[in-house]
Amino acid sequence: MLEQLLISASFYIPELLSILLMCFLLMAEASHSMENEHGSRDKIYGLGIIGLLVILGACIFNFTKAPTAVFYNAVIIDPFSTLVKIIMVLGTLGSVYLSRSSKDIYTNLKSEFMIMSVGVLIGGMLLASANNMLTLYLGIETLSILSYVMTSLKRDDATSAEAGIKYALYGGLTAGVMLFGMSHIYGQLGTIQFAEMVTKLSALEGQSFVVLMISFLMFFTGIGYKISCFPFHMWSPDVYQGAPIPVTSFFSIVPKMAGIAVLIRVSMIFFGTGSAIAVTWIGLLHVIAAMTMTVGNVTAIGQSSVKRLLAFSSIGHVGVMMLGVVVLNEVGVQAILFYGIVYMFMTLAAFYITSHLSDMYGTDTQDVFKGLIYKHPLMAIVMVGVLFSLAGVPPFSGFVAKFNIFSVIIEKKYYGLAIIAALNSVISLYYYMRLAKTIIFGEADSEEKVPGFTGLNQTIIFVMFVPVLVLGVFWESIMNISGYAKIFIR
Amino acid sequence: MITLTSYLFISLVLFLVGVMVMLARKNIVAILLGIELILNAAALNFVAYSRFVTNNLDGHIFALFIILVAAAEAAVGLAIVIRFFQIKETIHIDEATQLRN
Repeated sequence: MLEQLLISASFYIPELLSILLMCFLLMAEASHSMENEHGSRDKIYGLGIIGLLVILGACIFNFTKAPTAVFYNAVIIDPFSTLVKIIMVLGTLGSVYLSRSSKDIYTNLKSEFMIMSVGVLIGGMLLASANNMLTLYLGIETLSILSYVMTSLKRDDATSAEAGIKYALYGGLTAGVMLFGMSHIYGQLGTIQFAEMVTKLSALEGQSFVVLMISFLMFFTGIGYKISCFPFHMWSPDVYQGAPIPVTSFFSIVPKMAGIAVLIRVSMIFFGTGSAIAVTWIGLLHVIAAMTMTVGNVTAIGQSSVKRLLAFSSIGHVGVMMLGVVVLNEVGVQAILFYGIVYMFMTLAAFYITSHLSDMYGTDTQDVFKGLIYKHPLMAIVMVGVLFSLAGVPPFSGFVAKFNIFSVIIEKKYYGLAIIAALNSVISLYYYMRLAKTIIFGEADSEEKVPGFTGLNQTIIFVMFVPVLVLGVFWESIMNISGYAKIFIR
Repeated sequence: MITLTSYLFISLVLFLVGVMVMLARKNIVAILLGIELILNAAALNFVAYSRFVTNNLDGHIFALFIILVAAAEAAVGLAIVIRFFQIKETIHIDEATQLRN
């Protein structure tokens, strides 16, 4: 038994390293000195960033390993989950570095953001490789409970505390509903292992079938809440607005990718076959994906705060990613993973620039972007490029990502969905282009340059912009990598 | 004779009461109590199914984990409520309306 645990642990190195890193960070925090605040913060950041890089290395090392189910089939390590983990670690790294410079958080805090974000990362990793309902539940709760704390990190800010309360209450309700659904699924199918559940699922009929249908709806509530799809998106604008900017950028990458990953895995495992429940689930996903895109994009039009605009547009992007889930095949998964990688770089770059401007001018309305091209050309060019890419305009990588998703749904002959998605692209083009217009043609209040954007920060946004640009032309290698990341069902 | 149906009925009642509490009460601490009721309804279901239907330990383990997570969630929830109380000097949910567009 011990031997088996050790073998399992050898596949579980990224997660174990994350847990160790979290412990080390907590200990390092204890040695924080108030006199030399900058020095000790730099130390903790160095430790954290090195740790995250090591975790990234461990994930990349795991990527080529053959898929295995470890810990008595509770956890599955396959290239799919490993690639999602890589995306999440990169997202965490970006947000952590952003939090270092953001004034939104670090006026009166030490390194809470780092510790919490590594914790959320652990939850996301659990979720991405969950192979039974218990792991899934623990993953979702690890992710959520730490997210509540992260939301209310701005200590003396009423909106931040309010956002935290709303998040915690909605989150508790949806987790409870999901759990109630899970308990009935367990009762009807007699096991919590996904693979065993599938074999029992096909033998069911009659009364228990109806119970299962309702239970699966309840089960979806929990996942849908995490990826903030329609109709569970109500919390996300409030939370995104109340939370500090680094937290917002973190939330729009890590929990979303984890939620999408678990949605793909559950859909692929349970509903890959054409049973009656599968038809219902796919129909539900159709409607939800269409509504999520529409609600996200239509509401984003009227937003004056760029943070809120990015938050709503991330709801729209989740809708697009859900289109790839609807087709339920490997090509769809490949398209989603590519979309996820590209989306991560775009979001991080956009939030970096928004965060810096909001620190400088004390607000994040579209007005601060007026005439940015004269104030800071590099920043403006990167931002406009990212906006074009988010809207899905050709040479940029956002176009390739969107094109892949569209081609898989058209291949499956879901023309209605494709038309809705195309209309949504037009809507999103409108509000992204309006912001781009403000940046290029808007009249700046003053001629003075944007201060304080150091060479390191410039390098970082440039480095993030390179994939956004390059993947739009040379997308094959990343496509191959995400095509390699297949889901292993056992 | 206590059968599976009785347990399921009780847990359904608990669940509904929990949802009602969450919707009707205005005190944030009471709403957190509502969440606990919902979680316990699910835990009761798991244990009952485990005893009467499936005859394996999965349900028991699940119930234990639910208790653990519920404790963590309550701790974090209360901490945020305390922060809110220190800023606003109230724990009435209707006061939490600053974030509305």
